[in-house]
Amino acid sequence: MTFRRRRIPVVPESERDEARQQIARLQAEILRLRRALDALPIGVVLADRSGETLVENVAARTYHGHAAVLVNEAVERHLRRAINGVASGHNVEFIGPPRTVLAVQATPLEDGGALVTVDDVSERARLDAIRTDFVANISHELKTPVGALAVLAEALAEIDDPAATRRLADKMVGEAHRAARTIDDLLELSRTELGGAAAKDVVSVAQVVDDAVERARAAAEQHTIIVTVDNGPGDLHVIGSHRQLVSAVANLLENAVKYSDTGSSVLVESRRDNGCVEIVVTDTGVGIPARDIDRIFERFYRVDRARSRDTGGTGLGLSIVRHVATNHGGEVTVHSREGEGSVFTMRLPAGES
Amino acid sequence: MDELRKGFHNDLDEARAELVRLAASVTEAIPRATAVLLDGDLEGADYMIQGDDEIDARSLDLEERCYRILALQAPVASDLRQVVALLKMIADVERSADLVCNICKAARRIYGHDLDPKLRGIISRMGEQAQQLYTAAIESFVENDAAKAAAIDDMDSYLDDLQKQFVQAIFESHAAGRIDLQVAVQLAVVARFYERIGDHAVNVGERVRFVITGWLPEHHGAQRYRLRADDTGEMPRIGTVQDGDGTP
Repeated sequence: MTFRRRRIPVVPESERDEARQQIARLQAEILRLRRALDALPIGVVLADRSGETLVENVAARTYHGHAAVLVNEAVERHLRRAINGVASGHNVEFIGPPRTVLAVQATPLEDGGALVTVDDVSERARLDAIRTDFVANISHELKTPVGALAVLAEALAEIDDPAATRRLADKMVGEAHRAARTIDDLLELSRTELGGAAAKDVVSVAQVVDDAVERARAAAEQHTIIVTVDNGPGDLHVIGSHRQLVSAVANLLENAVKYSDTGSSVLVESRRDNGCVEIVVTDTGVGIPARDIDRIFERFYRVDRARSRDTGGTGLGLSIVRHVATNHGGEVTVHSREGEGSVFTMRLPAGES
Repeated sequence: MDELRKGFHNDLDEARAELVRLAASVTEAIPRATAVLLDGDLEGADYMIQGDDEIDARSLDLEERCYRILALQAPVASDLRQVVALLKMIADVERSADLVCNICKAARRIYGHDLDPKLRGIISRMGEQAQQLYTAAIESFVENDAAKAAAIDDMDSYLDDLQKQFVQAIFESHAAGRIDLQVAVQLAVVARFYERIGDHAVNVGERVRFVITGWLPEHHGAQRYRLRADDTGEMPRIGTVQDGDGTP
């Protein structure tokens, strides 16, 4: 075999520069598009007609452990169908906690490849559930006492016996108070929701805790529950409204007392942690089922609706707590295990002492 | 790598990936079964029980695929260990899926009975621990991590402790008249299911160690039995113990 010398055409320097610049421009363009894809909250997987993955953005790779395996499985399954020209998808659910719903959707592309998106729709699913339940729950809370009042009043109108009249009237007063409590709490909640942290006072945390304990004293004594306070060394302060904060901590305490066994104890602590103040209410009561734990701060949400009348309360206490915490630039979190108890932690930004 | 070997490694990788997918399904199914049990979710129970058929079918397919690899490729050394271990692990994963299913069936049987918060709390702990064991088992398999696989055994002893605590709590609850005998027995069986799932995760971990290091779990019982063999190499029979001839 002989080699014939081929003449390589000489490209002028100016054209070569231009080509280099063009390559650089295209590379910058690709980089920009990749960065844009990585900035998307939605997972994106792009594949060619043989099923080979061309692009996979950051959000498509955020899953760990068995979730990653199951997400990949769904992506590959729908990818295959899309490459065959059929758009397909379904929701992949993980029970968590936190409960996660991922919408996996594959679309065929003109060049024979396919695009798969993985969209986290958990929040949407959660809001849907809240909206549906809210109407059912609020009508339950408001209609029950009103219905009871109507029935009691009808009975009252037909009875002459003074003792029975007395008994019915007492019951009516009880139901009326119940409705009034619900309405008071609703007003309190909308005040906190609308007003924000109206007050910008320097509030002593120890004072808040003491006042809240005072408010919960009657309930605690009724169940012979000992409330222990530990405010730690030194004075802690936060900026905000004393009244709102007392109401929040008292709500947490009343819950702790309500769901504890007779004779047990409840602990309230306040402490400083990294520029924040934590107020922690710990009980050793019945605890909260895992499936309810994400929802207990919703308005009128009840873990056990059948028993809500025995335990009293309006179903708004924890919503109020959450709103007060948010108004003060903080948050409230909960850890709980059924049969072992619950720990509610309110974290607020510390004010200067 | 020549074409033939490449084909073998593709087959093996695909078989490994399928086992990981099956195990991931079980890992997700464990907390779901716990939720079905604690929430008395009959619809969820039916859904889960039906879902088990898919796992069974896929396990059989995977087993078939492993046999084909053995027959057609005749792998040796670590490749052989991989395939043999896979075959064993398929059985463990498939059996765990059955146990998850059994938890859902138990949920149907105790439907409508209220359980003490303490019992519910321990059930949720057992579910979480069983899931963690499974997560560790898959991770050790995917990452070929013998150390992680060895740690699963320790995690399992916590699950065993929980099972003991749970049985104690069942006695207390039954003695206090809060659950009847039928529910008590069902719950004791449920605790056993979780404990068995944990054991299968431990088995998977042991297989992972076997693949990586060639190590086999010390078969304590088998070893003891061999030590008892007399000079002639004869193994003592169970029946002779009752004759009182001095056999330990």
